[in-house]
Amino acid sequence: MRAGAPIVAIALGLAQPVQAQSAYSDVPEPIRAATCARADDWSARALARSLAPPLGLPPVAHPSDNPPSRAKIELGRKLFFDRRLSINKTMSCAMCHVPEQAFANWELQTAIGVEGRSTKRNAPTILNAAYYEGLFHDARDPALETQYLAPLLARNEMANPSAGGVIALLEALDGYPALFAEAFGAGPSLDRTGYALAAYQRSLIAGDTPFDRWYFGGEAEAVSDEVKRGFALFTDKADCASCHTVEADHALFTDQQLHDTGHGWLREQARQAPPAATRVRVAPGVVHEVPLATIAAVSAAREADLGRYEVTEDPDDRWKFRTPSLRNVGVTRPYMHDGALPSLAAVVSFYNQGGAGHPQQDPRIRPLGLDAGEEAALVAFLEALTSPDIACLAAEARIEPPDNH
Amino acid sequence: MTINRRQFTALTAGALAAGLPFRVFADETCQSPYMPKITGQEEYVYVWTLGVEGMGDEQDKLVTIDLRPGSETRGQVINSFSVGGRNEAHHAGFTSDRRYLWTGGLDTSRIFIFDVHTDPSTPTLHKTIDTFVKDSGGCVGPHTFYALPGRVMITGLSNDADHGGRTALVEYNDDGDHVATYWMPTAADMQGAVAVDGAVADGYGYDVRALIRKNVMLTSSFTGWSNYMMDFGQMLGDAEAMKRFGTTMVQWDLHTRQPKKVFNVPGAPLEIRFPWGANANYAFSTAALTSQLWLIYEDDAGEWQAKAVADIGDPASIPLPVDISIGADDQTLWINTFMDGKTRLFDISDPHNPHQVYEKVIASQVNMVSQSWDGKRVYFTSSLLANWDKKGEDDQQYLKAYTWDGSELVEDFAVDFYEQQLGRAHLMRFGSSELYG
Repeated sequence: MRAGAPIVAIALGLAQPVQAQSAYSDVPEPIRAATCARADDWSARALARSLAPPLGLPPVAHPSDNPPSRAKIELGRKLFFDRRLSINKTMSCAMCHVPEQAFANWELQTAIGVEGRSTKRNAPTILNAAYYEGLFHDARDPALETQYLAPLLARNEMANPSAGGVIALLEALDGYPALFAEAFGAGPSLDRTGYALAAYQRSLIAGDTPFDRWYFGGEAEAVSDEVKRGFALFTDKADCASCHTVEADHALFTDQQLHDTGHGWLREQARQAPPAATRVRVAPGVVHEVPLATIAAVSAAREADLGRYEVTEDPDDRWKFRTPSLRNVGVTRPYMHDGALPSLAAVVSFYNQGGAGHPQQDPRIRPLGLDAGEEAALVAFLEALTSPDIACLAAEARIEPPDNH
Repeated sequence: MTINRRQFTALTAGALAAGLPFRVFADETCQSPYMPKITGQEEYVYVWTLGVEGMGDEQDKLVTIDLRPGSETRGQVINSFSVGGRNEAHHAGFTSDRRYLWTGGLDTSRIFIFDVHTDPSTPTLHKTIDTFVKDSGGCVGPHTFYALPGRVMITGLSNDADHGGRTALVEYNDDGDHVATYWMPTAADMQGAVAVDGAVADGYGYDVRALIRKNVMLTSSFTGWSNYMMDFGQMLGDAEAMKRFGTTMVQWDLHTRQPKKVFNVPGAPLEIRFPWGANANYAFSTAALTSQLWLIYEDDAGEWQAKAVADIGDPASIPLPVDISIGADDQTLWINTFMDGKTRLFDISDPHNPHQVYEKVIASQVNMVSQSWDGKRVYFTSSLLANWDKKGEDDQQYLKAYTWDGSELVEDFAVDFYEQQLGRAHLMRFGSSELYG
């Protein structure tokens, strides 16, 4: 059996008893790809999905120069999981965007790249990334066709010395020239690699959530009354929907804008003046207060994260980050751009307190006055945004094992 | 029942006097019992060393230091073989014929096989296995290389699906051909094993050791690539990462390679050491994060059990016990604690009630410990993992040799691996020309 391979078929979202898979009670169960039977025509399903999205989602905007096809999606999937496409053959896109972890990474607050190098940000899910107008937490890249180059070349991600060298590698690896020829009628190139990766990612569409079936599908019983109450708070008292937008016939839960919520500013304060001690859980139920000096002795310096400012160098953009979609947010913890918040309850609490309250903070982030029941209702609503289709997307992703040297 | 040092010495002397092929089982005390041995003075120590960016040739390398008494180069680096790249050089082990030394990289999963018999003073690269992940079906991070007859049993630490801790045992033959992969049991797939004492089979791996006459093989559990590769301080502050450490040890059927029992050993149990006594049916391990010494033992009913038998330092300060080395007479156990740079000697004459009898600060940080068979020479190196080692001036990288007279460690010589632009000194293995006639 391969690591991570499914054993027990448990439909995501169904309340079946599950045997604990970890001695840590707060480690979530991985998404079980075995919910979905192996489908050799998976790419046909993926193509259909990217052309006709499920309930709750708008049509995907495919660029005119990159219409989707099965061949592109199949090639894109293979590229996405190929660990050979990093300088020392250890990293692929999927090492940070893990299918069984909802194409995010539940096991790290911030992603780790080649040779264990630190990054500043949490690996976001790529589910529904097709809808973003700006990619990365700082929206620095406008298109999936070009987005891949940054992690491919970043020294603390895949660390390839050159993009051209990767294309030369693809030309030399068995299988790739034929797959490129089938998809594009031509061999590997930078453009065509981006087209294929984009086509695959635009097939990772996950909607038809309990919320969608209730709100857009008219199924009154699809969600609980608490969820409905949470949605009412979301659009009214809590005012979440002013940034996490909901339209009449679909909801992306993002305004595609960048905001200073105060979280980035708070984290910078903590970086500059770290706490005197850190609570470290060394085993289930065993927590020690570790002094700062002990932590510092084994810590490399961490970089500041100024958010959108690092793209524009405009002081007004300091600590601004893109509004993330909230779809599938119940299965993409930890939260915020740096994964610093461990749970939806912690996120709701942060916003209920009004963020950091520093002068540049977006005025929409303000104390909300929610009581505990209202916070719980908001969390229940957010958890109703989980698609039942993720397990099948994971199964498609694992149709073949990752490529290795 | 255990044998004490006096009984052991008598046994050895008796065997030698009778001309029996009594075999001192290893150059030092923690090797596979299937392996030929050095019966006297170790002549060389091979140090599997991590390359450091901006230092020397920046590559991982096998460094050879002369230990021959009277040699003009005693205590000096006499050879260094660079293998290319930084692979997260970590552990190494000889084949059962002791002619080859397999060295592994936890990051790239490459295995470098050195010929140490043609000229033990000058190891040469015999073969490189760079298909470990593909061979094994997705296992990442070859760690322990444990000699079985004609085979090398390798523990993995991670996998190619998520770089988490679920992993496998991987068996190769001495020629370097993959034989089989045995995934660690998980709660979702126990493979016939039974979890006891509330254990939840996590599928994690670290070390492997065997007690042949009992047909018992034990494995321990550490953490996956994401954690062992990342900055240590960052990880301590990452609550999600800290949930991904091993909490189990597994008892296997040595011959069939089937997992039998999963023990609850929280806090990342690392090194495993069986004693050498003919009736010593137990092993020790240390839990790194909880700083506890564990005993895995056969009870009166013939069932194997696991229990914590001692704290190592003050667990609340996270001393981080790392390498351990058991005395050949089964009476003592060296335990290094990385964070305070100490080595600690535990009296284990009663394995159910061990206690510390000595400690000494070796340096700002210390990881590996190896001792000669007679216990009179003890060697220490410094590096734990490239991104876990201390930063700044506390990042001392060395091999230090000591003599031990039963009451005090006295420094003999030291090699500064940074001053010599070598890198981070990790695992030690001894060599001798006497082995090869």
